Parts: sequence; structure tokens; C-alpha cells
Amino acid sequence: MVNVLVVGLDNSGKTTIIERLKPRPKQSMEVAPTVGFNVEEVQKGALTFTVFDMSGAGRYRTLWEQYYREADAVIFVVDSGDKLRMVVARDEMEHMLAHPNLRKVPVVFFANKKDLPISLPPAEIAQALGLNDIQDRPWNIFPSNGLTGEGLDRGMDWLAERLGKA
Amino acid sequence: MAATAQDSQAPLRGPEKKDEDREDESANRCDSRTVSRQYEQHSVWSCLQVITKLLYLLNQGESFTKKEAAEVFFGVTKLFQKQDINLRRMMYLCIKDICPGADEVIIVTSSLMKDMNSKTDLYRSNSVRVLSKIIDGQLLAQIERYLKQAIVDKSPVVASAALVSALHLLGNNAEIVKRWINEVQEAAQNKNNMVQFHAVALLHALRASDRLAISKLVTSLTKANVKSPLAQCLLVRYVAQVIQDSQPGPNGEQRPFYDFLESCLRHKAEVVIFEAARAICNLRDVTARELTPAITVLQLFLSSSKPVLRFAAVRTLNKVAMTHPLAVTHCNIDMESLISDQNRSIATLAITTLLKTGNESSVEKLLKQIGSFMSDIADDFKIVVVEAIRSLCLKFPTKQRALMNFLSGVLREEGGFEYKKAIVQSILVLIQEIPDAKETGLGHLCEFIEDCEFTYLSTQVLHLLGQEGPKTKEPSKYIRYIYNRIILENATVRAAAVSALANFGAVCEALRPRIIVLLRRALSDNDDEVRDRATLHLQQLEGKAGGPEAVQPRVDVNLTALEKALSDYLAGPTDKPFDISVVPKAPPPLRGAAGGLGLPSASTTSGGGALPATSAARKDPTAEYAELLRSIPQLAPLGEVFKSCEPFRLTEEDTEYAVFCIKHVYEGHIVFQFNCTNTIAEQVLEDVSVAMDLADAGDFEEAFTIPLETMPLNGVGQCFTVVTRQPGAIATGKIVNILKFKVKEIDPGTGEAEEEGYDDEYVLEDLEVTPADYVKPTLLGNFRKAWEELDPSTEKEDEYGLGQREALQDAVEAVIGILGMQPCEGSEAVPPNARSHTVLLAGIFVGYQQVLVRMSFGIDAGNNVAMKLVVRAESLELSEAIHQIIQDA
Repeated sequence: MVNVLVVGLDNSGKTTIIERLKPRPKQSMEVAPTVGFNVEEVQKGALTFTVFDMSGAGRYRTLWEQYYREADAVIFVVDSGDKLRMVVARDEMEHMLAHPNLRKVPVVFFANKKDLPISLPPAEIAQALGLNDIQDRPWNIFPSNGLTGEGLDRGMDWLAERLGKA
Repeated sequence: MAATAQDSQAPLRGPEKKDEDREDESANRCDSRTVSRQYEQHSVWSCLQVITKLLYLLNQGESFTKKEAAEVFFGVTKLFQKQDINLRRMMYLCIKDICPGADEVIIVTSSLMKDMNSKTDLYRSNSVRVLSKIIDGQLLAQIERYLKQAIVDKSPVVASAALVSALHLLGNNAEIVKRWINEVQEAAQNKNNMVQFHAVALLHALRASDRLAISKLVTSLTKANVKSPLAQCLLVRYVAQVIQDSQPGPNGEQRPFYDFLESCLRHKAEVVIFEAARAICNLRDVTARELTPAITVLQLFLSSSKPVLRFAAVRTLNKVAMTHPLAVTHCNIDMESLISDQNRSIATLAITTLLKTGNESSVEKLLKQIGSFMSDIADDFKIVVVEAIRSLCLKFPTKQRALMNFLSGVLREEGGFEYKKAIVQSILVLIQEIPDAKETGLGHLCEFIEDCEFTYLSTQVLHLLGQEGPKTKEPSKYIRYIYNRIILENATVRAAAVSALANFGAVCEALRPRIIVLLRRALSDNDDEVRDRATLHLQQLEGKAGGPEAVQPRVDVNLTALEKALSDYLAGPTDKPFDISVVPKAPPPLRGAAGGLGLPSASTTSGGGALPATSAARKDPTAEYAELLRSIPQLAPLGEVFKSCEPFRLTEEDTEYAVFCIKHVYEGHIVFQFNCTNTIAEQVLEDVSVAMDLADAGDFEEAFTIPLETMPLNGVGQCFTVVTRQPGAIATGKIVNILKFKVKEIDPGTGEAEEEGYDDEYVLEDLEVTPADYVKPTLLGNFRKAWEELDPSTEKEDEYGLGQREALQDAVEAVIGILGMQPCEGSEAVPPNARSHTVLLAGIFVGYQQVLVRMSFGIDAGNNVAMKLVVRAESLELSEAIHQIIQDA
């Protein structure tokens, strides 16, 4: 049993990604903005992930911290096409990583919506978010497409490997 | 849901209760921290136990700090991953009961919405309940369709939950809930009793503000087949409400829906039968014929084996007995057998009902029976008995000796304050109403204060002894009782006793030397107040400090005004002494009115329950404006406002400026308050005032104006014009008003007002000051006594024709409206089909002068109404002024 916290700005694709992680018959194509949060269970190999899908809307972001203590891993979803709010995403991320309740758990960044023509490559996103400054915990960034599920497996595999080691 | 939660708490209750509060507190702290971690390591079972404990603490009135509540709440939210029905139910309860801040609680919205679409009925129903409690309007619009679905859900639990939630949501989000009417109507046809009940309640609530719609709804529902007994009960209540609101038809025509109520008396379910019977009994002006079927079913209930039915029936009959004692007499035999009922509440109600319906000969027998179980019943019911005895005593004054003995007997027994108070009040009423009972009553009260543990009652009785004792044949016999108080009681009672003794000394000259001796002994009392009173009264009895007459000074100021003035004085700087002359004078005390003894006035004696109700319904503009007027320094020297009139419009509708005038009448002034509103955005109006032309109102003289700096756009600003008149005079006349102001155009380019403006005027409608402006309604306990106390030489009588009217009631209401006085003793209601009627009105004129009016109305075959108006007042001039009001109208 592993608790995974899924965070990111609103409309970055968190709920869609989680839908795609579920087994195919249970998936639903229609996704509405999350109000508050949702809990889902996802099987990945030997591991069972309990996924806390947090709402990314501004008024709910302050509530993320209530769930930090139990988190064994964090998935941070970024909208690769949203250059304008990249600084907001960086701000939220730094805020989160600096929080005392969050242990030194691994963080997966999904550079989501890679199919968009205007999307930035992962390297540029890592640059924009200042990921290279993160020294105290394992992290990795993967390009992904929540609609097709492309790239998600790589990210989850990396996470499973990290957690397996620990 | 709640019931199960309680059950699961039951085993906990034993050990928890023994805990000290402090331990509870620490348990709660500990719990709130552990719960957030429980979910990881522990099983569903241990989570359940923790939540149960938390809920138990909450239900015991223990409150969590904001931080603790948040911690528990978030801990609980993390349990949404568990798919366990029992745990989920506890989570719902916990979220609902803890309900942290609005910012935090929204976090569960999405999870609840997921549950709302779950396949499990229990998830669906309970998540709807929780969601409706935490949701705001915007989110509600988003999930509206799910709620609509839930209302027509196949599962009754879900449908009921959705309907109840809708009822709660109606408060803040009425617009949205109103859109679900079709679904609710469908639910009202549901076969499930509970769903139908909730749907009917919601249908009614949706229309609550619209009387016509309610009437339509009730009509359609009474025709439709409402199966659920509970829903049927609701319907009976709604029908009763509709009947209440509708005017009774003329000429004994049957009221609407009466047939429906009567048919409900034959319903299968007892609860519906009772509800219908009760509704019939509570009908306004119910006739004996209408009552009969209801009384018959209640009589059957009286001999039911179920205590609750017996109780319900006897309680309803008890109420009916007050208004229709004859109708209840049929049940007397059944009720007599209830006197020995095991349930004391039933027995008490049976006895009091019998007391009300009984005749003079059965009084003693009943008293004996009551006496046998008086000690077994609760204080609440003892009070009911005491009240019944009081009304019986007033009904049969010849029986007062037996009843008074009974009261004094129960007075000596153990009892709480409220009970003792009820007895003392009853004796006070009897002393006042039945002259023969006075001496015995006073005697009983004297014995009561010998052994009374309630300071409040002791002081009240002592005051009464001081008032009434000296007037009896043998005043000296009370002195011993009073003096004993000075020796034995606490300071408050001692002080009251000193004052009471002094009264004896002041009134009975023969006793004075002896009283002086007794008062001297109180001079060394160790309480300041007692010593002060004794010293003062001694001086007065010895002819100093105003002499013996000053022992009982007449308070001639308005007490509420005095209180207000004193608190104002204390709020400001107190270096100057308080000036009592600024406090308005009160009307002379109405001797003989119930108020004289400090009793809860007429409603207890004359049974005129309608009296306070009407005065409450009439809103008093004076109190509304008094605060505003006091806040304006220029108006403060005018004293206390006597009366404020209703706003009067001085401009046509849809004009550039809206001006309303409110007249405030003072002792020697009239303040005209002008509420001004500018409706034109393109200009600014400054320095606004109203100039008055007093050519047709010679008794007035303009004093000063308080201009308004700028007239607010679409807001209300006030300017004032003050005129003087002879103090207390009833000056009248017509006043021409001109609104004066400075106009500054607003430059459409910059949006700023020009610097230079120009003066302009606007002619307003004329204002009239009439005698009616100087009179205001006043509550009066006993009209007849007050009437007789006014000097008959001030009486003035005249007759008036009022022309054609639909009914007498119209004429009565019109005249009351013109005079602006308070109807007394419920006389404003004309009995249906009456050809003549007498109305009693009480009012006070400016300067606090009493005016009483007796009007006799008559109506002839052609609906022409004639009125005879008799006025008594404190001066003939006032009586004439009243006639002037009618003549002008």
C-alpha cells in the first residue's frame, strides 16, 4: 500500500491521468473539474497505489498540505502548453517541497499535454520549474499525454522502482 | 442514521460517564490526533471506534478547537479510500457534526459527489444529506441534476434524504430548489409513507410565502389520495392554516375544507384522527355544531388503552374547555375516571378540565380529589392546576373561601419558584378582583412570608401589604408579620419591610408612634439601604422631609424614558448632576388597573389574549426613529419625541427627486424629517433644505432647519425643518413646502461635478398637521375603571353618519385608523353578522394626557353605518380635539 498525492495547477490533467491509470473497463472519458479531492486505488505490479487526486483550483491549493504527512510519493502534473502559468506552478511546487510535513519522498513530474503543438519539451519545463535545484529527494520528469495514456507507464515504473528500493 | 449511531455509542456510555471532565478533555485531544493516523495502521473496526468516541464527545456538548476540528476532519477525509458501509456512515456523521470552516469543508465535495452516484443506496442517501449541508449556491447549480434524480430515486431512503436536503437548502437557495418542483410533485405520489411525507412538506415549503398558491396546493392534495398517515397529518395542519387565513363566510355558510377535516376523523390512523380533531377544535370562532364530531372522537380516545392517546385527547379538551365549556361537558364522566389515571399528567389535565367545565356544586368535591395527589405531580402541572383554580374562583366568587384555603394550603407545601410565584400571583389577582377575599388573602400571604425562601416573592408580598394593609379594618395585625422580616430576613427583604412599615405609619395616624419605635430599631441595621430607608421614613413620619405624605411619592415621570435618560447620563460625563426635568411626564398612574400591583396586566384577568397580539402586530414607528433623532445634536434640546408618524410622500412617483416627510411630535415642537433621494445621475444636489410657508398654519413658527449636505444618488439622505408651537398645544394647519438646493451638473466627459452650481427650488406637495398627529395608542388593562376615573365633565358626545359600508368591520377599522388609538379588550373585532357593535379605544395625547373613546356603531338594512362617539379625557379641550379629528376626516 502506497499513498500517492497527485497535485498540480487546475486544468493540468490530474484526474484524466488517474483515469488512464485505472484498468481499461473502469476508465471514464468524461472528466469534470475536481472539487476538493478524490481517492482512487490503482494496481501497478506488486504495488497498490492509493491515489489522492487533489483539486488544483486556487481555493483548494492551501488544503493540499493536510495530506502531506501520509504521502509516500508525489505526482506533480504540469500543463506543458501553459507557459504563462509556469511560474505559478513553480511557486506552488517550491511551497510544497519546503513544507515540513512532506517527507523526503520521490516526486514524479508529468509534463502533460505533450500532444499540444505549443507544448514545451521536458528539459525546458525542468528549467522553468528550477527542478535542478532539488537536491534532497529523488525526482524525474516525463512527457505524457493524459488522453492516450502515453508516457504514464514510464513515470509509474520509475516511481515503483524508487519505492521498491526504499 | 442517527439512531444507529446512538446505538453503537450505548456500550460506551457507562465508563465514559464516570470520567472527570478533565479526563474527557484529554481523551478528546488524544483522539483527535490519533484518528488522523488510524487509517494507515489500523483496521476499519478501530477507525469506527475512534469516530464513535469523537461523536460521543461532540454529542455531550464537548467542543473542539478550530485546530482540533480541522485535524479530525482531515483525518476522516483520508478514510474515503475504505469501501466499508459502516465506516462510511460514521464518516458522514462525523463530517456533518464537526463541519469545520467553509474553506476546509469543500474539500470533500468531489468525494461526496462520487458517492452520490454510487450504486449503494446508503452512500447515495447519506452523501446527499451531507452535501446539502456543506454546499454553496454556485456548486449547488453544478450538482442540481443529481439531486433532481435523487428526489425521484427508486430507493425510498435516497428520495427522502434528497427531499429533506431540499427543505434545508430552501433557506439559502430557494431559486434553485424551486426548479425541482416537477420532481417533488412526482415524489408526492410515491407509495412510500416517508417519501410522501417529506414531499408534501417540501411542496408546502416551496409555496410558503404565497397564500393563494398554498390554498391551491391544499385543494389539489385533499382531492388526491394521500396515503401516508404522516403526510395526511401535515395536510390537516396546512388545511387548518388555510382556514385560519380565510375569512369565515357570511350567514353560517360552511367553511371551506371543513368536510375534509371531518372525513379525516374517520381515517384509519389514529394520528390523523387526532390531528383532524385538534384542527377542528382550534378553528377560529368554531361553532358547537362543528365541534361535535371532533369532541366525539376525542371522547373515544379518553377511554383508549394507550396513554398517549388519553393524554392527547384530554389536553385538547382542556383547551376547548376554556372557550366552549358546554361542548366538553359530555365527556365529564369519562374524564372523572381519568382523575385516578396512573399517569399524573393525564390526571392533572382531567381535573383542570373538569374545574373549567364544572358547576358550582362540584367545586368542593374536585378540590378534595386534587388535594390527594397534588404532591405527586410536577411543578409544571401544579401551575396548570393553580391557574385553573384562579379562573374558577373568578367564575364563582362565592366559592372563594374554599379555593383560597386550597391555595394557601398548597402555598405551604414544598415547591419551586415558578410554582410559588404562580400561587402568589393568583392570590394577588383574587385579592384585587374579589373584595371579600382581601382580608383572608392578605392573611395567607402574611403566613407565607413567615417561611418563604424566595426574596422576590417576599418583597412583592411586603409591598402589597404596605399598599393594602393600612386600608383594612384592622391594620395593626399585619405589623407583627412585617416587623418579623426586619429581624429575620436578608437585606433586600428587610429594606422592603421597612418601606412597608413606613406606609402603615403614613396612612394610619393612630399607629404612627408605634411604627416610629419599630423603625428606630432598624437604624442600627448593618445594611446601608435598610438604614437609609429607615432614616428617611423616620424623618418623614416625624413631619420633616416632606412629611408623611412623602412616604409614598407619586412617580410622575415616564419610567422607560427615565431609564433611557439615566443610561444616557451615565454614558456621558457625569460631572453635572442629573436633571430629572428633561424626562417626560408619565400619564397619572391608572389606579385599579392591574398594573397598580405590579401584575402581568389584563391578559391574566380578562382573558383577553388578543390584546397583546394586536399591539405587537402594530409596528411602532416612534421607536424606529427615536434612535436616529437622538443622534442629531441639534434636536437633543427638544426633549423626548412623543410620536413619529408614518412616512408621507411629497413628490409624484417617477420624478427627479423623491421626498418623503415624517412628522415627529415633541412637547413644544414638531420636527419634519425629509427623506430625500436624488434619482438623476447627471447632477449633484447640495445644501438641500425644505422651506415652509406657514401662512395657513398660524400656530406654528419656524425655528430652524438642518440642511442636507448632498442628496445621495438613489440613497436616502435626511434634512430637517423644526417648527415651534405652544407647549402641549394641539396646533393644526396646512403647510406649503419648497425644496431648496444647489445644483451642480456632472461633466459627462470627466464624470466630475462642476465647481460652480446654481440655486434651484422644487415645489413639494402640501403637508397637513392634524389632531391625529398628537395622539398615540396606549395599552390599557381595565378600560371600565380607567373610564370611571376620568372626570365625567370632560365627556363629549356626538353622532356621525359614516355612509354606506360593506360591513361593520370596515367602518370600525376605518375609524380606528383615523383616530390612531389602541382598541381595548379585543373590541376591534366585530362578531360576524352583528348589526351593532361597541369599540373601546385608548390613547394618549402629547404631554401624556389620557384620552378614552367609546364608540357605538350601528348598521341598517341599507348598509348605512351610524356612529355615536363618546370621549372622556383629561380636559374638555382634548375631548373636542378628538371630535375634530372625526369631523375633519
